Parts: sequence; structure tokens; C-alpha cells
Amino acid sequence: MTAHEAMSATADSTPLCVIVRVTERPVPLDEIYREYAPPLRSLDREVEFVFAMEPWARGLAPPVEALAEAGEPLRVMEVTRGLGEANLLRHAATRSRGDIVLTLPAYHRVEAAALPALVREIDAGADLAVACRRPRTDGWLSRFQSRVFNAILRRLVGHTTSDVACGVEAMRRSVIEETPLYGDFFRFLPVLAVRAGFKVTEVDAPQHARDARTRVYRPGTYVRRLIDILGLFFLVRFTEKPLRFFGLVGGTLSIGGGGLLAVLFVQRVFGGVALADRPILLVAIIALTLGVQAIALGLIGEMIVHLHATPMRRYRVFEADEES
Amino acid sequence: MDRPKITVICPLFDEEENVPSLVTAVREALEGLEGGARWELILVDDGSGDRTVERCLEAATDPRVRLLRLARNYGQSTATQACFDAARGEVIVTLDGDLQNDPRDIPRLVDKLEEGYDLVVGFRETRRDAFLTRTLPSRVANFVIRCLTGVPIRDNGCSLKAYRRPVVERLGLYSDMHRFIPALVVGSTGAQIAQIPVRHHARRFGTSKYGLSRVWKVLADLMTVTMIRWFGERPLTMFAYGALAALIASLGFLGSELVDLRQGAGTAHGVVFAGAVFLLFGLSIYLLMVGLIAQVALHKWAMVLQRHDHGGGRP
Repeated sequence: MTAHEAMSATADSTPLCVIVRVTERPVPLDEIYREYAPPLRSLDREVEFVFAMEPWARGLAPPVEALAEAGEPLRVMEVTRGLGEANLLRHAATRSRGDIVLTLPAYHRVEAAALPALVREIDAGADLAVACRRPRTDGWLSRFQSRVFNAILRRLVGHTTSDVACGVEAMRRSVIEETPLYGDFFRFLPVLAVRAGFKVTEVDAPQHARDARTRVYRPGTYVRRLIDILGLFFLVRFTEKPLRFFGLVGGTLSIGGGGLLAVLFVQRVFGGVALADRPILLVAIIALTLGVQAIALGLIGEMIVHLHATPMRRYRVFEADEES
Repeated sequence: MDRPKITVICPLFDEEENVPSLVTAVREALEGLEGGARWELILVDDGSGDRTVERCLEAATDPRVRLLRLARNYGQSTATQACFDAARGEVIVTLDGDLQNDPRDIPRLVDKLEEGYDLVVGFRETRRDAFLTRTLPSRVANFVIRCLTGVPIRDNGCSLKAYRRPVVERLGLYSDMHRFIPALVVGSTGAQIAQIPVRHHARRFGTSKYGLSRVWKVLADLMTVTMIRWFGERPLTMFAYGALAALIASLGFLGSELVDLRQGAGTAHGVVFAGAVFLLFGLSIYLLMVGLIAQVALHKWAMVLQRHDHGGGRP
């Protein structure tokens, strides 16, 4: 993978790296920079902006490249293929040197004035500070969708924040380095970070006026979100114990099917009831078959987890004493 | 500082009231070790919500007492693994943080280990628990575990155990596997195990972190441990047995179908049996394929380990 880079002279030494993910419905990038950079300058640290973009967004780069040439501390990082938000963030972060990473989408989510508070949360000891659009000024339908999405997530996964979709977050570099993040799971970074043992906090950030219009997505988008939540639910609850999930499903089906078969067998042997014209026999065998298949998948999962158990450190030490 | 001979490890979760007594009891039990053997106590806070950490810090003024603080509540297995990773002693003793184990038994465990065993497991001869909700389920569970794993441990629920360091280094505990350490150890290393009776006290402070709700979890984990114990090195065999059973059932229905047809039953009459034949035959093929995938996964992992052994570097 190659990256096109245009950076300012001082950028590599900056301790705060702002990564703008240029992946969907971007606004002109120089607008983003001009709006979000000034409040961050109030922080007592150098700030570097990195515009991480997928190849299709190449046409958006010239205005910010012009700013970089004019001496603004920013650079454009273009990847050669679509990586998705999670990998784009990781790619950009590993090629930047800020101790703290602030990431935002290439469109307006929250008011710029709210960003310094996120960084201050990290300075105060949090590992990941997540912006939550509060107060929200968008229509009831958008708020309703968001509330339902977050409620389902909280119900199934447990630890989460109140506005998972916001996507404006500040974090220590270690969060990106140590949290398993890939594919479409970027929006679930707070959930995964808590699971990885990081301290996650929420910061209220007023919703940006340009984020306030009501959005209704295509049905496929809602289906994908639900599938994402299902995947996350499984990963959070059963990554280390897949048999508890597959075994529950498979065991229920197997016991149901097996019980039914036992009844049919008793009726056949002791009651002389013929089996060959009873479709219930097929129902019993289908249930048993599906149950055994589910258990077999669970066992495969357990075997893979067990094989990889020894070399993996599955915990994060928050604090340890000095070795005596 | 020289490495200690004995490391006592103790995962803690919301045990603020028990910590001071625990540290004192361990110290008293180990002060008089034969030959003045060096020891250390590692307290691991598993994301407690009470003042366990503060109590541990107060106790950690003794340089032999170390504190490890996990970033969140990971569960007893992971906390125990964290202790194992941090332990420096040649003998490692595990102990519950609720004072139901008696640290005075530690020297006896260590003495037994020095007779040449790799792992010495304590069993609670006289339990001080409620019979119906704890002792009886525990006895049933121990019986089932003994039958399925083939490892004759009397009391898998007793945390008081002593390990030689190499045994611990081969372990990778996850999920709730701390309950099955002896079965895992015997299955993977063929270690020599001894059992000795130990004291048991009723819990004085705090509440138990486990209840009957864990039955399903224990059953699922037991299934996993049994698979690892008997088929960990040959998963294809396990799935092939299942495939064979499905094939035999399929052939049984096929035989019945043929007999019915021979006796002049109509075609519609045979649809149910024909369906059963195909379903069970399909299951047989499926299980065989799953077994092959399992074998491939195991083989690939063996290749990784071999490269690690000959090429250096952690896999």
C-alpha cells in the first residue's frame, strides 16, 4: 500500500493528530479544516490534521493540499484501495506521530468548539473520549432512529455510549494499537475499547447545524446495521466461548428432535404405530440434524479458540507494582 | 532480588473485607517454611467496584506482596492467567480470595509437590456450604467431570492447588476454564497429579460470585474440555464417529424403506423414510467435512508452532 503524502514542515512532531476520515458524503475538505482547526489551536500543543482518503475521493484533495503548501499543518494521505473507516483510521494513525488522536468524519457532526473538551478528557485520564450529540437539533425521525439503534445496542452488548454513530472521538494512540478494529466495526470502537480494558468517557457536544436534517436511509442500510449489531453481540459475548451460543441453539434443537424421535420410537415399538406415513418423523430428524450441525460448529469454534489460547494475552493491566 | 521459591496467587473481585485477613493468614502460613524459603503473594484485582484495591495497597507495603490491577473485570480464568504470567516462583499456589481456603494448607501442598508431582490439588473434605445449593451440585458436577474427562479429581471447585512452574507456562486460561485446569493439564502435558485433603471455612464476608445459573456455562465448558481431552489431537476422529452414527441411522431408514417397497407399499408411503435417509446422509457428509476443516486448522497451527520452535519468535 502506498500513501500520497503532503505535509507541513512541523507536522511530524505534533502531539495531537486530527484524522479526518474521508469515506462518505464529504463536504469540501478545506471547509472542515477552516472550521475545526481554530478551536484546537487553543490547546497548548501542536496540532496536525491528516485527511485520510480512499481513492475515489482524490478529487477532493487539491484545496487542502494548497493549504498545506501555504504552511498549514496538515497533510493528505491517500490509500490505494477502499479500506473502510476502521482500517483507514488505523492506517493513518500508524503513519502519524501524535500521542493523542482525534478523529472525525469529513462532514459536520458537532460544533467545532466542542473538540477541545474531548482532548481535555484524555488529558484528565480517559483513554477514549466520545462525543455525544447533545443537545440534538435534528428532526424527530432522526432522533428516533438513533435512539432505537443505541437502545438495541445497549440491550444486546451492554457497555456502550449514548451516541455510537457520532464518530467524533479523541483517544490515546494505544487505543488504536490495542483494540481489534476492522471492517464496519469502526462505529463500535467505544464498545470494543471498553472490552479491551480502556477507560471510555462521554462528552456532550452540541449537534452541528448542518447535521440537523432528517435522514432516511435505504432498507439495505438498516439491515446492514442490524447485522453489524448481531456480529458485535456474538463477538462480545461468545468470542472465547462459541459453544455456549451454538450449543444452546444446537442443544435445544437436538433435545427437541431427539425427544420427538424417542416418542415416535416408543409408539412404533410398543404401540405398533407405523412411522413411514408420519411427516412428524421428518420434523424430528430435521431438528436433530440442525442441532447436531450447530453443536459441531460450536466445537470447531472452541477448538480454534483453544489452539490460539496459549500465546495470547487476553487482558490489559491497568496498573502493576514495581517488581521487587 | 532473588526469585522466590513459592508464588501464592490470589484473584480478587469485590473482596475488600477479606484482603487484610487473607494477607495476614498467608504471611503467617509461609513465615515458618522449611529452610526459610522465599515467597511472594500476588494479589490481582479483577476490576473490583469496592475498596479492594485500597486494601491491597495497604497490604503491599510488605515487599513480598505484589498487586496487579486489571483494567476491567475479566473473570476468574483471565485473572488467574494474569497471575500465572506475573508469577516468579518455581512453585505456584492458587488460592481464593474469600478465605474459604486456609493458607495453612499451603506448606502441605508444597511438600506433596516435592515428592515428584507436577500438580497437587486440594479437596475440601468437610465443606461448610449449604448442601442443596452448593455442595450437592458440586458433587454432581465433579462426578460428571470425572466421568467425561477421565481425570479422577475429587473436587474441581477447590481453588487451593500447587503447580510446578513448567505446568503453568503451558496453560492459556480463557473463558471459565479455571475450573478444569487438572483436566487441561493432564490432557496437554500428561502431568502427574496428587490430591490431598484441605480445610474449608464458610465465607465470612461478602457474597459468592457464582450460583446455580452457571450450570449451562459449566456444561458447555465441560463439553469443550472433554473434546480437547479426548480429541484435541485428532478432531477428525470425533466428527467421523458422529458421521458414522448418522450414516448408520440413514442406512437403517433406507433398509426400512426397501422392505416397505418390497412389501408393496405405495410411493407416497415411502416419502417420509426417503426424506429421513437424505437428511441423515447429508448430516453424515456435513460432519465429515467439519472434521476435515478441524484437522486442517490443527495442522496449520502445528505448522505455526513448528516454525516457532525452529525459527524463534512467539507465534
